[in-house]
Amino acid sequence: MVKCTINGIDIEVEAGTSVIEAFKQAGQDIAHYCWHPGLSVAGVCRLCMVEIEGNPRLQIACNTQVAEGMKVTNQSEMVKDAVKWGLDFHLINHPLDCPICDQAGECGLQDQYMHFGKYDPEMALSKVKKHKVVDLGERVVLDSERCILCSRCVRFTEEVSKSNELGIFNRGDRSEIGTFDGMPLNNKYSVNTVDICPVGALTSKDFRFRQRVWFLKDKPSVCTGCSTGCNIDVYFNKDGVWRVKPHHSDVNGYWMCDEGRDIYKAVNPITTDFVGERENKKAVKKPNRILSAHSYHDGKMEFISTAETVSSIELGSFSNPALIVTGQYSNEEYDSILGFWKSKAGGKNIFHWQNQPEQWQDFDGLLIRGDKNPNTKGLLASLEKHGLQAQSQLPSMEGFDFVLVLGPENQWVYDNISQVADQVSQAKKVIWLSACHLEKASQMPKHVTFVPAKTFVEKSGSFTNFEGKVQSFAMVDVFVEEALDLQQVTQWFAGERVTASLAHPWQSVHNEFIHERGEL
Amino acid sequence: MSVVQVKRPQLRSSWYLPAILAGMVFTFITMLKNLFNKKRMPTLNYPEEQYQYSPRFKGNHVLTVKKDGDLRCTACMLCATACPADCISILASEDEDPKVEKFPISYEIDILRCVFCGFCEEACPVDAIRMGPEWQTPGANGDNFIYDIKQLAYRNNLNQGHGVPSVVEDEERHEAGI
Repeated sequence: MVKCTINGIDIEVEAGTSVIEAFKQAGQDIAHYCWHPGLSVAGVCRLCMVEIEGNPRLQIACNTQVAEGMKVTNQSEMVKDAVKWGLDFHLINHPLDCPICDQAGECGLQDQYMHFGKYDPEMALSKVKKHKVVDLGERVVLDSERCILCSRCVRFTEEVSKSNELGIFNRGDRSEIGTFDGMPLNNKYSVNTVDICPVGALTSKDFRFRQRVWFLKDKPSVCTGCSTGCNIDVYFNKDGVWRVKPHHSDVNGYWMCDEGRDIYKAVNPITTDFVGERENKKAVKKPNRILSAHSYHDGKMEFISTAETVSSIELGSFSNPALIVTGQYSNEEYDSILGFWKSKAGGKNIFHWQNQPEQWQDFDGLLIRGDKNPNTKGLLASLEKHGLQAQSQLPSMEGFDFVLVLGPENQWVYDNISQVADQVSQAKKVIWLSACHLEKASQMPKHVTFVPAKTFVEKSGSFTNFEGKVQSFAMVDVFVEEALDLQQVTQWFAGERVTASLAHPWQSVHNEFIHERGEL
Repeated sequence: MSVVQVKRPQLRSSWYLPAILAGMVFTFITMLKNLFNKKRMPTLNYPEEQYQYSPRFKGNHVLTVKKDGDLRCTACMLCATACPADCISILASEDEDPKVEKFPISYEIDILRCVFCGFCEEACPVDAIRMGPEWQTPGANGDNFIYDIKQLAYRNNLNQGHGVPSVVEDEERHEAGI
């Protein structure tokens, strides 16, 4: 351990720590663009200047290691002046695109300018024109004018995705980010370059122009795209979820895959161009609906079953009930439903519906795993805990008089879903929990009843990832009021009253920002 | 709490006839004045005659247009951010022209929510929205009060439906190196 003083605060850091990391550990703000904790040190932005006692010149904090007794400050006038001029140089060719730039609101340049800049530009020449709206690949758009050449994205493709698509071309103020030979940036982690871009040079096609970031709130959660269980931040407002971003953790580091970024599309209630449609109010109002909003009071909504067929569900009355489970629900939900199944149906006829189990061990070396269920481990553990056995092959369902299907939330990774739907509808009575709208739903016979299920953003619980690590997540917001989680399904089957929170108590407020801001 | 009795001259206040007569005399004199001297009449014959407010009057919004007739708005949503009444909703999209990049495919103002504060006009970085002079805009039902792009930019009384030109042009800004 090495002792040092950061802005007058004495701290002890491990040997080999860089000064910028020591600043972070001391909780001190320091300007920087090119340094990223998950990447190597480039030292190109020259913004993390610090004054080290006994050293006549300023040093960059990212490429200087802490030495014993080092006294470092970035509060002195000399540092402030250096940062200001560094910023001025960065902004020489940076266009004033902020109104149409997606990064505005979470932009490093804006933040640093408000901290250290606030000067009148002294550059008399006009700005260098570069390429705008360059289509880099499937998911990323480049605006070279906005780029400050911090090289974070280049280092990302070199060091993390190891696909080496990006590079810096030309020299001097004509330098630009680009791809070699126009090769597309199509690796499976490409949108991470958008996240780490400190300015709006790289933008995600999926999120581009959809929302301004200051209209969104974010809450942490866990990705349900595969069994890795990356930690994510979910960005949402009252219209739904708009994007997810990786949240730093031991499981996923600073990154997540592109595929995982699409999981939010399964969460939103029906909107025009989303991949999956939620089982929303409209869907529930179809003839085979089973739930309707009963009464509103105290901000809670009570569910009652309306169709006769459903209100008379008494598991004990069926001679041969079956339960089909998928690995897409939380540990708490499994405990609740499996315990209930054990006590009421004797714990028999449990089937584990698996999607491509032969690929479950696949791993691409970074994050993506072949098991596309977030909680297969949790399901197996819960079965074991209750002493139950699950069969992995779905047999013909003709012999069963009642089947409860805990359908997948992320249903486009289940390629045999329509086949299973046909198979299941052979049973006499079927209740199918589905977070998303099933395409075949309208063609299914009347005795198959769909019940809207909650997605991972609408419930709290925990997932057990591939290595057995239990990660808990909290509810983000309610988007479909009628949706139930498995605890509620258990309550409902047990004949208890089910209550759920209403979506958006702030429903009439479109622009929440104006109600929350204090002084400008 | 106490009750205060106010003593009023009972007789004089109940003697109302002289005051009424005085009022009627005043009305009659005013009528005669207006009959014989119409020019100095303080009221207007609305709706045939209408008062002209100053050009700075904050009435219904106008979205300005560029030289080519397209909307000047870049869908930056600063007006929607600044709006205290929460009445502006914008849906942005990507333009094929890289010089335009972002434009609104839908721009709606719920004029019944609007408080005509003019913050949107102040927030706009490109002179795309202005508060216009109109204020007498009735509608038959609630739908008539959600103004869309067609109403805000290309209504008939704005340059015969061609829209009000903006003072900020992209070309000029690009040439100036902004």
